[in-house]
Amino acid sequence: MAPHESVRHQAGAGSGPASAVIAAASATAAVVVALTTPTTTRPPPGAFHSAERQILSAAYRHVPEHGFTHKALSLGARDAGYLDISTNVVPEGPFSLIKYHLVSKREALAPRSAEIFNAPVAAAADGATPDTAAGSRGQLLTVPERVERLTWERLLANQHVIHRWQEALAVMAQPSRVPASLHELALLSDEIHHLAGDLAVDPSWYTKRASLSTIYASSELFMTNDRSAGFGDTRAFLRRRLDETGSLAGALGSIGQWVGFTASAGLNVLRSKGARI
Amino acid sequence: MAARSGLRASVRTLRTSDSIYCRCTRPFSTTLPSRYPAPSPSDRTKTTHFGFEDGVSEKEKTERVAGVFHSVAESYDRMNDLMSFGWHRIWKGHFVSSLNPGASSSNPPKPQRILDIAGGTGDIAFRMLHNAHVLNSNPDVHVTISDINTSMLSVGKSRSEALPASQQTALSFLPADATALPDTIADSSIDLYTVAFGIRNFSNIPAALREAYRVLKPGGVFACLEFSKVGNPLLNAAYKRWSFSGIPMIGQLVAGDRDSYQYLVESIERFPTQEAFRDMIVDAGFVVGGDGYENLTGGVAAIHKGMKPLKS
Repeated sequence: MAPHESVRHQAGAGSGPASAVIAAASATAAVVVALTTPTTTRPPPGAFHSAERQILSAAYRHVPEHGFTHKALSLGARDAGYLDISTNVVPEGPFSLIKYHLVSKREALAPRSAEIFNAPVAAAADGATPDTAAGSRGQLLTVPERVERLTWERLLANQHVIHRWQEALAVMAQPSRVPASLHELALLSDEIHHLAGDLAVDPSWYTKRASLSTIYASSELFMTNDRSAGFGDTRAFLRRRLDETGSLAGALGSIGQWVGFTASAGLNVLRSKGARI
Repeated sequence: MAARSGLRASVRTLRTSDSIYCRCTRPFSTTLPSRYPAPSPSDRTKTTHFGFEDGVSEKEKTERVAGVFHSVAESYDRMNDLMSFGWHRIWKGHFVSSLNPGASSSNPPKPQRILDIAGGTGDIAFRMLHNAHVLNSNPDVHVTISDINTSMLSVGKSRSEALPASQQTALSFLPADATALPDTIADSSIDLYTVAFGIRNFSNIPAALREAYRVLKPGGVFACLEFSKVGNPLLNAAYKRWSFSGIPMIGQLVAGDRDSYQYLVESIERFPTQEAFRDMIVDAGFVVGGDGYENLTGGVAAIHKGMKPLKS
């Protein structure tokens, strides 16, 4: 009983397509504003300066071949017309390249989400491939389903560099890099919940994001060793983990309900015996 | 020079050398007399500061800084070890390895020209040569060590004789003022401009940054290692205690020169914060990535990097 209740509650909080449209539209607007605002001398924290971005985006093309390494950065600098020494403008070297991947893929999630969930007419007009047909049903999805879909989209964005991703994870796990990496992970799970139209602001705000972060990180790790076609095993893994969270949350909710009921019943029994409580 | 005790003056007359530098036995507790008269009001055209002393003309600061480094040149490395507990080697090693000079994506590797300003004793230059020639196998990396102070340069020259011959040929020495580099260094000719623990002594830092901008190629990098501001208040208290009481005392005991080391710690205190210096670099036309600086040891020192953009 409880799991369904919580699902309905979340769907109610998201209040269906209308608010999702608004949320996605505002996210897209934010991205557009960020792109069109003239670059000042100081970028906002976490963003990249224009010269930095030029080198990183050129270097990113070398990642599938050379990995998240200084070599890729150096080749990128050369492609962008800079000197070998210019890679020094990228403050954290290879880790900045990893951050570039994380940030750009996270930012790409908002337009992608709008594409999946809010363009049924366009998708239908384009012709009904199975994928777009699934997208056209997007508005009917519940929040947990949207979370699953968006997490999967984000995982798919790793597929071009997945053979290099274990190296990147090793760099991200270095003690001095851990805070920045965890921060980026937190931003990602927040972005996914926001785009999925989850507007709840109760204490579950934290648990939902924490559990999604854990699930995302473990799925990513699973994906690095996944050789199945279209990463089908990873998607099954992701679904199992999300279902477990759902059932765990449900179980905890049921236990809480039982404890509350038993406590108040016991209290009432005591009162009926004349105890002054 | 004049206003010291007669006893000290008579001690000095006993010395054989007419030099003011300490090359002789020195009574344990005495220091060298102050070599500079009070600033005369006539040459206060454009003033800067010398340690905590304000209203010093730029020309005079240049001369007095030269005096400080003339007097500390020979004991400079020993004093660095004592003052920073040997930690300056870690900072310098990190500075050079983060710059990674000589690394090239091309085969054969592309040549690089490096200008090491205020690099007198060659600490940074020798590390860069090692990094480029040995670690990155790029023999086409040339380092010019420049210093306003010939005493420091001569220390660097004699130390460079211990280097392998191939590295010695890739070195050259240039006595020059960083705020007005000579024409022998052409515009847009340098890949990497480094200055380690030097820029706070410059009489005009913005002018030096403009010169750096002039000589660097588009895409070239300005890199500066300098003492900075400590963020953590506890560490800051311990650090200030050490720098204002410990360092001048060691300077007196080891190098026999309290005033010079008093100047060093005062000049560190007067140097702008990480953010302010970053903004000065940006104002000179450089672009910086991220915060534009990297703190070392909680901010005791900081590395600033800026790149000359392709189109100015």
